[in-house]
Amino acid sequence: MRTTRWMWVAGILGGLGLLALFSPLGAQTYSPPTYGEDFPLIGSRAAIWIVAQTHLMFAAFVLGVPMFAVVTEAIGIWGKDERYDRLSKEFTRLLLVAYSATALLGGLFLFLLVTLYPALFSYLSEIFKVSMWIYAALFFFESATLYMYYYGWDRWKTGRAKLGHWGLGILLNVWGTAVLFIANAWLTFMMSPPSDVTPDTAPAMVQFWSAFANATWMPINIHRLIANAVFGGSIVAAYAAYRFLKAKSDEERAHYDWMGYVGNLIAIGVFLVLPFAGYWLGREIYEYNQQMGITMMGGFMSWLWIVQAFLIGVLFLAANYYLWIGLGRIPGGERFSRYTKWMLAVLVIGFIVWATPHSMIADRDELAAMGGTHHPFLGVLGLMSAKNTAVNLMILTTFLSFLMYRRANKIPTVSWAKTGTITQGGLLAVCSAVVLFYGVYGYFVPTITRIGFSVYQVLWVLFTILAVIGLDLFIMRRAESRGPIRWGQMPERSQYALFILVVTFTWLMGLMGFARSGIRQHWHVWEVMRDTTEHAATPALGYAAQVISVCVIVFLLMIAFVFWIGGMIAKPQLVPDPEPVPAD
Amino acid sequence: MSSVDLKIIAVVLATIGAFTLVANVIPQVESDVPPDIAFGADVSPEELVEVGEQLYQGAGGCLACHAESPGARGPNIITDYRGQGPIGVRCADRVPGLDCKEYLYQALVRPGDHVVDDYPLIMPPTDRTLTQPQIWAIVAYLQSLGGEVTVTGADIPDEDEAEVETDPALASTDPVELIQVHCLRCHVYEGEGIDIGRPLDDIGAHRSADELRRAILDPPSVVAEGYEDVVGLMPLDFGRQLNAEQLEALVAYLSTRR
Repeated sequence: MRTTRWMWVAGILGGLGLLALFSPLGAQTYSPPTYGEDFPLIGSRAAIWIVAQTHLMFAAFVLGVPMFAVVTEAIGIWGKDERYDRLSKEFTRLLLVAYSATALLGGLFLFLLVTLYPALFSYLSEIFKVSMWIYAALFFFESATLYMYYYGWDRWKTGRAKLGHWGLGILLNVWGTAVLFIANAWLTFMMSPPSDVTPDTAPAMVQFWSAFANATWMPINIHRLIANAVFGGSIVAAYAAYRFLKAKSDEERAHYDWMGYVGNLIAIGVFLVLPFAGYWLGREIYEYNQQMGITMMGGFMSWLWIVQAFLIGVLFLAANYYLWIGLGRIPGGERFSRYTKWMLAVLVIGFIVWATPHSMIADRDELAAMGGTHHPFLGVLGLMSAKNTAVNLMILTTFLSFLMYRRANKIPTVSWAKTGTITQGGLLAVCSAVVLFYGVYGYFVPTITRIGFSVYQVLWVLFTILAVIGLDLFIMRRAESRGPIRWGQMPERSQYALFILVVTFTWLMGLMGFARSGIRQHWHVWEVMRDTTEHAATPALGYAAQVISVCVIVFLLMIAFVFWIGGMIAKPQLVPDPEPVPAD
Repeated sequence: MSSVDLKIIAVVLATIGAFTLVANVIPQVESDVPPDIAFGADVSPEELVEVGEQLYQGAGGCLACHAESPGARGPNIITDYRGQGPIGVRCADRVPGLDCKEYLYQALVRPGDHVVDDYPLIMPPTDRTLTQPQIWAIVAYLQSLGGEVTVTGADIPDEDEAEVETDPALASTDPVELIQVHCLRCHVYEGEGIDIGRPLDDIGAHRSADELRRAILDPPSVVAEGYEDVVGLMPLDFGRQLNAEQLEALVAYLSTRR
């Protein structure tokens, strides 16, 4: 109930803020100044950056976890495994506190925007005011649904009532997705306003729907939906890792080992499709404005993608490392161990290729030192042909790790098991060959053709993953077990890989936030409203990285606090209470 | 705090530190804001060239495409292009009837009219992001690359005059004049123009006024039958190039063409 009180406080504060902004009195008599006072010590830009990014991380968490919860609850219902149901409930409980933190940060963000950038907020609210009202109203529906979902868990536990409860989980996701889509419209409008909006266009003359459904709106929606699920999964995994390391009994350790596995499975499984959504977003940015696309990929932001490649390399390595160690607790898993060194080689080579720069923005001295805009040798590897090939092979390798993990303790019983396995291997081999073929062939065709090849590579990888996993479901039907997975018998070092994963995902989110926002350069609204403050220049990556790191640390501290508070609200019921010891 | 807590904190901070370090050891490139500049009537060529070079190398964003290597997105204009020398040497010969200064200015504000063979039209009009003094400073810098700087203070209009100075048709509301300036590059009208998009002579018989308006502002939303393969060629920025009065004049006129 303490949580409820916080939510009300946050809601009332936010409502008062909106009320003040849209009051007729304010609109008639007051013209906002262009900029407010500069924020003390760190400046307005850093202040709003940190608050907005941290708010966004919480928002991703509270939108990602319901996706996680509804999937695990469904597995619990239809798989008749109550562990998943308890897992789902525990994370929904954490949502209660996390919602408050999200709302408070959102309120702070709003106040900073109003006081530090009043003209921008006034401009955006003039165009989007209707959607802002709806946005605020949706929180009431979302909060009400969350309360019913959580507090009704034990009341609607069986039969049709349980299905209705699961329906509430779906509804919670619907509200969350609607909130996400509305907020995305505002920020994507700043990136890609419709072409008929100019600096001379009065905001009242901007057509609402064309501003709302702008060029990058849907790609960002999809990208963020997927990324939120990934983020939610990784936080769950890190939470489980903490509990595992702190566990006092084998049962507890087993439970949290399993939970970490499930969280990581969802995070990495969904993460594998994220590059495809990112590719779509990038293409839309180029189609909207070539200059913006070039700024992003080949202009002053070009080095950002090298940092991104480093982060994603860390993600792939940490995720695979966790899976490979996990094979040790599965009877039969040892037969796959000999392959891991080759898979590691593929990942490392892919990592190196992906992190190879190509078209760098450089000054004359740097160009002279490099012998041209492209390094004579490394420049070849820096082409998208090589990078796309590398990342697709890394995705296939990670998928193979999952497949090994999945099959480790199973003995297929269907008569065609060997043929099926050979077919799976053949599919993976053909797919790798096709990916390599297009990668090499890409060097011999014009750029526009080469760009099209990446679509073929992606489609082949997706098709192969779906076909192989589909086949596996049939091959392993009624499979015999080599023995149960020894949950809990996992070296402690494996759990630190889960922490590396969550930190990397969070940092990556901050980096991509900087990329998305930074490509507007000194424009609040691209080519419509300039930022004329002293902070208008888009900072270099070094400074951006420091701000991102601050955001990540603040977020992790706050989420740790949320988990701590969540633990005080109710004791986790994930692990059955130990049998009472009979009195002597 | 237990040893587990300390280990977790160490792993988390080490990971964050590693990312921060990597981002700090790579070259640091900041995206500058084009400085607000104003030149007096007696501005010297040296001053213009200095400012122009700064803009070219930095906030103007030119280097992202016009680099000095054969693989760059745009032609090399700094050192040499296909043995013809830097831009200052060849600018006067690019378009018959246009001297170097006028050609460079037009290429900056209306790049679509002067796309170099074999290169895609990806350059945005620079007057959307730069002021007239900034554009003229870049013109002076480009002239200085192998040529004589002829830009003077008299060439640089006040911002208020800039649109009129750029092209008189930009201020016109005469639909025929607007068609000549904006449409004939890709459409045929009364026997003139280039046959890429649908002819405009009878366009009013096939499109309502609303469809015409949409076709101008958002070309992919209204595609003429048989012209699907050129749908991406029409510029998406007519909403910027035309003001509301011009747009409505053009729409009203075209809708009567039957």
